[in-house]
Amino acid sequence: MLKADSSLGVIFFPAYDWAISPTHPEREERLLYTQDQFREEGLFDIEGISEHRPLFATDQDIMRAHFCFPSVEAICTESHRISAGGAIQAARLVLEQATRRAFALVRPPGHHAMKVVHGNRGFCNINIEAVMVEWIREHYGRKRIAIVDTDCHHGDGTQDVYWHDPDVLFISLHQDGRTLYPGTGFPHENGGPRALGRTINIPLPPRTGDEGYLYVLENVVLPILADFKPDLVINSAGQDNHYSDPITNMLFTARGYARLNERLKPDIAVLEGGYSIKGALPYVNLGICLAMAGCDYSAVREPDYNAAALREEPETLEYIKQSCDPLLEGYFHPAMGDFEKQGEYFVRERKIFYDTDGILEKQREELKDCDQCRGLRLIKSSSSRLLPCLGVELPIDCCPACEREGYEAFNRKGDEFLVAQMLDQKNKQFCYRPQR
Amino acid sequence: MRIGIDIGGTHTDSVLIDGTRLVAAAKAPTNHDNLLESISQVLHLILAGQDPTAVTTLNLSTTLNTNAIVTGRTDPVGMLVVGGPGIAPENYRIGEHFHLISGSLDHLGTETAVLDEEEVEEAITSCRTQGVACFAVASKFSPRNPAHEKRIQEMLTNQADFVSSGHLISGQLNFGRRIHTAYYNSAVWRTFRAFSTALTASLSGFDLHAEVNILKADGGTMPLSRALEAPVQSIFSGPAASVMGILATTPASTDMLMLDIGGTTSDIALFASGQPLLEREGIAIDGHPTLVRAIHVESIGIGGDSLISMREDGLQIGPQRIGPCMASGGPAPTLMDGLNVLGLAAFGEVQWSRNGIEALAVSHGLTGRQLAKQAVDAAVNTISAKIEELIAHVNAKPVYTIQEILEEREINPKKIIVIGGPAAVFKELLQMRLGMEVVVPPLHGVANAIGAALTRSTSHLTLTADTSKSKLSVPRLGIFRSIPRSFNLNAAIEEAKTLLKDDLEQAGITIPADQIQITQADSFNMVEGSYTMGKNIRVVAQVQPAVVARLEASATEIAIAGRP
Repeated sequence: MLKADSSLGVIFFPAYDWAISPTHPEREERLLYTQDQFREEGLFDIEGISEHRPLFATDQDIMRAHFCFPSVEAICTESHRISAGGAIQAARLVLEQATRRAFALVRPPGHHAMKVVHGNRGFCNINIEAVMVEWIREHYGRKRIAIVDTDCHHGDGTQDVYWHDPDVLFISLHQDGRTLYPGTGFPHENGGPRALGRTINIPLPPRTGDEGYLYVLENVVLPILADFKPDLVINSAGQDNHYSDPITNMLFTARGYARLNERLKPDIAVLEGGYSIKGALPYVNLGICLAMAGCDYSAVREPDYNAAALREEPETLEYIKQSCDPLLEGYFHPAMGDFEKQGEYFVRERKIFYDTDGILEKQREELKDCDQCRGLRLIKSSSSRLLPCLGVELPIDCCPACEREGYEAFNRKGDEFLVAQMLDQKNKQFCYRPQR
Repeated sequence: MRIGIDIGGTHTDSVLIDGTRLVAAAKAPTNHDNLLESISQVLHLILAGQDPTAVTTLNLSTTLNTNAIVTGRTDPVGMLVVGGPGIAPENYRIGEHFHLISGSLDHLGTETAVLDEEEVEEAITSCRTQGVACFAVASKFSPRNPAHEKRIQEMLTNQADFVSSGHLISGQLNFGRRIHTAYYNSAVWRTFRAFSTALTASLSGFDLHAEVNILKADGGTMPLSRALEAPVQSIFSGPAASVMGILATTPASTDMLMLDIGGTTSDIALFASGQPLLEREGIAIDGHPTLVRAIHVESIGIGGDSLISMREDGLQIGPQRIGPCMASGGPAPTLMDGLNVLGLAAFGEVQWSRNGIEALAVSHGLTGRQLAKQAVDAAVNTISAKIEELIAHVNAKPVYTIQEILEEREINPKKIIVIGGPAAVFKELLQMRLGMEVVVPPLHGVANAIGAALTRSTSHLTLTADTSKSKLSVPRLGIFRSIPRSFNLNAAIEEAKTLLKDDLEQAGITIPADQIQITQADSFNMVEGSYTMGKNIRVVAQVQPAVVARLEASATEIAIAGRP
């Protein structure tokens, strides 16, 4: 019988009773054929591979990661709490050393959900990796964490959540934003003024296959991880680089995904996108599970696999190779961007569109340029549906001055904000301003 | 009247029951070389002074097939396996005649590589020249499309004494388990057939013309005619008989536990609202997981004969057994001796227990009572820890819908039924440690035979339908046919119930429609692009284990073979 070299806990939660809408890609059927494949392969009969149910994320779990406006309940349904709870379960298994690794094979996904949430963007309401990372730091203290986002779409939500956090290294590999939603994720997006080089974006040309993808992994991702020396590596595991995915244009295969995980050795993987539910997901998920467990995956192959047809053009490969050195520069010697400053604050003003829910958010972010700590962050946000809201974030190393200023803003009476939320990482206080 | 016979490892037990009344009970030693002798012995005892023609049903639980496997006395099997991509089928190699055949199907049952018939011919010839006459066939995803298995079976026509076909075993997906189940089914077929022939002859000798059923590991029965096709289903029916014995002697409608304390091991089973919990997929045979449905029974290495030993890190109890307790003339002190010393039991020669325990205690600076107490505490703690682990495990089982996560109730047993030799002795000890009501039912000495006598038939089937392809399949019944595109979940549920009822009726069993339980009923919209192409429907129907009557309390004595 088969035996896992490194034990793997799989949180398999297909949410068979939840869909965004009946024909939406994010629907009940999405993981059905993956489960058929797992069952037929007897995945959970392999010694060392176990199946677990998700936990349920509480308001506090979510408020550690997000500013939810107007409230957590308005943003999150049970499905989102269970999906985030699946990620938390994965972290729990690994940190309690019940299993060496864990894979949260859950839906709905989360990597397009940003720090501030007004609704659903790119099929995501809350960022399940971020909720998990904050749960880990709450229960196991400050940690160096690397999130490698291997979804075909730029992980703009996760990038946004950790933009200013030097403890979290975020690396996203994705199809070039000039050719795919959400249209971001360029190498110059390199982290906030206090976390330069802690965001690494690796855009790949359309029709990149196994060779190009794994080349970037070996020559950019792994050397950066070797330098960063994270306590935990998390794979934000989208499966839409697959050659059969209906909404992307890449040539990655199930065996490529398995090889990627064999080399990356993530402690935790969390499912993101991937909508070729019959032709890709059963094989990709099997490959990832076997690779994470250290089992032989050499016979995992799609029925229509054709190596010759799935090889990238030589020019594509050459282009990828040329892009590696500048990407390494972006980590090892990041250039100071032209951050706008008003007084002692770095200021960003943005408009964010929530495609699924059709919401337009206007946001002004102020980060204090403090020489005692990472700096107080104030986010003023309003949307096409909601009057201005205020988010106050105190960093984990918050200095007394920033702490005082943050609480003053949060407690100010008679200001213009309809809702105010405090996210105090230092004192672990996560709450809304009492309603008048 | 009904007869129940349980052929166990040491004893063969039998009971004769009239309605809810125990008429006679008997025990004889099991003769593993001649099971019919043991059966005859107990039948003689229970039928003494009774009219054998009034017996309508005889249910038999036998270790025959289990023993054949454990002792390696099985037929060689030509195992023909069609794998394909995924986990390498080589990992499921079993037996001396394991042949991999090229060909493959995907998870939708679509053929993705044709069956290599030349390889099939070669494999059959190779087996035949080595004298193999029993075959088993399993292809990956055969419950979705049995074409490859059926073709191989066709090619085996007139070349095999018996063929087991994977898709007819279960509609459940699990390739490795399908291979092993089909293999064992063919491996024990000849032994079981010989037994069945001899049994039938022997029963006519007793003027018994009852319908004969064989007990399965899921606690239900199957008619002898079905058992001849699926002999593998009869393995490990012993623990299931005990569980059904509980249901037949004790009111059971709540969450509860069963503890069956034996000589070397004890078995623990869990009931949810009075229903015994089944294994998720099936039981393992000789370390090989199979698709044989079974009551989930946890075994632990603690029993009356568990050895008490002193180690560097303290006292150890079980899992070793080196003989019976000293009170019965055994070589070393056991749990039973400890119970004797504490005055909780008075089994055999109590003084021999005292001598043995004290000798061990003295060499470790303890009194006999102190050591006995440590031993009994350790045994109770081990049993309790296992019970708590089992409950936690069952409550943590995976679920796949939001509704289940939000609404599912936790299993929280408040009662434990204890049976087996030293059951009564443990009553107070367990009550204190577990804080549960502990019940020791009367008649627990033959509970297994009572369970066998009073249990009814069980069955199950998996139905899948794909309306985009207008296809319906019920693999276990060999049904693969077309349906209208308008077929829906309600129609599927009705169809599953009707098919299961009809199948049981064909085997001579009538089950009221409301006793057929639907354990899964899902319908998924199948979408291509942004169009709904049809529905993917999955329904599982079952008749769960249950007893036909609950026994009234009685003072019937157990007759022991060879004693007046």
